[in-house]
Amino acid sequence: MNHSLITTEILVILLGLGVLLADLWIRPESRPALGWLAASLLGCILALSLGALTPHDGSAFGGMYVLDGLARYFKGFFLLAGILVILMTVEFRHRLPVGLSEFFALTLFALAGMLFAASANDFILMFVSLELITVTFFVLNSFQRARLPSLEAGVKYLILGGVASAFMIFGIALIFGSANTTNFSLVAAQQAQLAANPVFLTGLMLVLVGLGFKIAAFPFHLWAPDVYQGSPAPATAFLSVGSKAAGFVLLLRVLFGAVPQITSQWQVLLMVTAAITILYGSLCALPQRNFKRLLGYSSIANAGYLLLGVAAESRTGSSAVLYYLGGYFFTVLAIFTVLCSLSSTIDNDEISALNGLGRRSPFLAAALSIGLVSLAGIPPMVGFFGKFQLLAAVLEAARLAPAFYVLLGVAVVGVVLSLYYYFNVIRAMYWGDAPAGVSLIEVSAPARIALLVCLAGVLYLGIAPGGLLRLADGAVAGLKFSPAHAPSVVTAAH
Amino acid sequence: MGTQLSQYFPVLMLFGVAAGFAFGTLAFSVIAGKVGRRTRTKDIPYECGMLPEGPGSARMSVKFFLVALLFVLFDIEVVFMYPWAVNYRDMLKTNAPLALGGMVSFLGILFVGYVYALKKRAFDWRS
Repeated sequence: MNHSLITTEILVILLGLGVLLADLWIRPESRPALGWLAASLLGCILALSLGALTPHDGSAFGGMYVLDGLARYFKGFFLLAGILVILMTVEFRHRLPVGLSEFFALTLFALAGMLFAASANDFILMFVSLELITVTFFVLNSFQRARLPSLEAGVKYLILGGVASAFMIFGIALIFGSANTTNFSLVAAQQAQLAANPVFLTGLMLVLVGLGFKIAAFPFHLWAPDVYQGSPAPATAFLSVGSKAAGFVLLLRVLFGAVPQITSQWQVLLMVTAAITILYGSLCALPQRNFKRLLGYSSIANAGYLLLGVAAESRTGSSAVLYYLGGYFFTVLAIFTVLCSLSSTIDNDEISALNGLGRRSPFLAAALSIGLVSLAGIPPMVGFFGKFQLLAAVLEAARLAPAFYVLLGVAVVGVVLSLYYYFNVIRAMYWGDAPAGVSLIEVSAPARIALLVCLAGVLYLGIAPGGLLRLADGAVAGLKFSPAHAPSVVTAAH
Repeated sequence: MGTQLSQYFPVLMLFGVAAGFAFGTLAFSVIAGKVGRRTRTKDIPYECGMLPEGPGSARMSVKFFLVALLFVLFDIEVVFMYPWAVNYRDMLKTNAPLALGGMVSFLGILFVGYVYALKKRAFDWRS
C-alpha cells in the first residue's frame, strides 16, 4: 500500500476547498486575484508533481490506482489545462455575474476527477472519477443561469450524461457478474475465458457506450453541438480538452490494459465508428453559422481522428493519440482564449461577429488564425504533425488489414472538408467588413500570456515534435497490443 | 454460458407476470366494464369531497427546496457513518490510519460545505 501516490490529487482537492472557503471572506472585487492565485498554486503543484511529489511509479488501494508513464503524461496535461482554463475564466468574468470563485472551485474539482481518471486501473475508480467530472460539468455548463442557451446546455448534458452513466454502471455490473472482479489487471488475466462469455461482452460494450459519450464519438455525439454552443466559453474549453482526454485515457486503459484480446476482435467496430464520426463531424460543420457550434462539430470530427489511432491497435497508433491530444490541447485552448478575450466587446458567438477582427485586433486575429490553421492540419502547425502521425499509424495497420486504406481515404476527405469551414472563419476575420463605428479591442496581460503560451506550444510542437513524441511513446509502453490481427477480421472488413 | 443465463429465468418470468398483470387488468376492464355517463360533477378532481378552489399549483418559496436539498446532503453523511462505525473495530486491525483518516477527511470536506452554506445564508429563513 502506497497512499502517498495520490498526493497530487489531494493537493488539487485542498486547493479547490480553499478557494471555496476563501471566497466567503474576501471582497467581491478581489475575486479575479483569487483566480490568479489558484492558477499559480496549480502551477506549483504541476512543477512538484513532475518530480518531487511522487518520485516512484507504483499502485495503491489494492491495485485500483496506478501511477505509470501514461498516468504521468495525462496528469501533466490536465494540470496545464486547469491552469489555462482558470486564466481564461478570469478573462471571461464579465459574462459571469455571480459565482466567479465557485467557477474556479468547480474547475478544480473536475480537474481532480480527471487526475484520478488518468490513474484508474479499476472499473469502479473509472466510474467514480468520470462521475466527478460529469457532475461538475452539469453545473459548469449551466453556469450563466440567466441565459437560456446555457440552461439548455446544462439540461441536455444532465439528461444525456445521466443516460450514459446508467449504461456504464450497468455494464460494470455485468462485468463484475461475469469476471468476479472489477480490476483491469485481474480482468486481463482471465480474458481468454471471458472473450466467449456473452454477459461479459455485453457489459464491455455498455462501458464503451459510456466512454463514447465522454469523447463525443458517433452515435453518442448528439449532445456536443448544443452543449458547446450554450456553455460559457471556459467550460466549453475544459469540456473539449479535459473531458475528452479523460475519455481517451480510459478508453486506452480499458481496451489495451484490461481486454487487449477482445479489442483485437473488435477492430472493425472501432474502424467503422472512427470513419462515421469523422464524416459526420466534418459534414455537419459545413453549414454552421455559430462559431462555438462549429467548434462542437469540429470536436466530433477530432474524436474521429483520435479513434483512428485507437483502431490501429498498435504502439504507434496509441502514441499518436497522445501526441495529437497534446497538440489539440494548445490549439483548442488558444481558440477559446481568443473567444474569452472577445467576450467583453462582442456579445454573440456568430461567425459574422468576427467580421473585420483582423483590423480591430491584429494579435487576436492572428492567434485565432494560427489555431484554426492548426486544427485544419496545415504544416508547420502541430495539428499537421498530429494528423500525420495518426495517418502513419493507419498506413502501418493497412499492411496487415487492407480495409484501413478505406479509413485513410475517409480521413483525407474529412481533412479537405475541414479546410472549407475553418477558412470560412479566417475569411470573415480578414476579408469581412467590420460594422461601422467599432473600436480596437484591448487584450489584457494574463490573456496575452496564456495566448502566447498556447501559440508557442502550437508552433514549437509542430516544428520540433521529437520531445513530445518520445514522451508519448514512452507513456504507452505499458499498454498491451494483441500481436496478430486475426485474418478473419480482415476479410470480414471487406 | 447457458447455465449462467438460465439462472435469470425467474427474473424473466417475473417480467412476464408483471406485464401480464398490467395489460390483463386493462384489457379485462375494457371487456367487462361499462362506459359510464360523464357529468360535470363526476369530472371534478374530488368527486365526493371539497369543492376545489384557487389555482392547482401554488407558488412556494425557494427556501423549501434549499432546506430539502441540504437535509438530503447531511442526511447521507449519517448513512455513510453507520456502516463505518459498525466495521470500525475490524478495520483497526488491518489499516488503522486509513480507517480513521478516510472518515475524518470525509467529514472535513462536508464541514467545508456546511461553512459555505452557513456563510451564504442558506439557513437564514428571512433573507
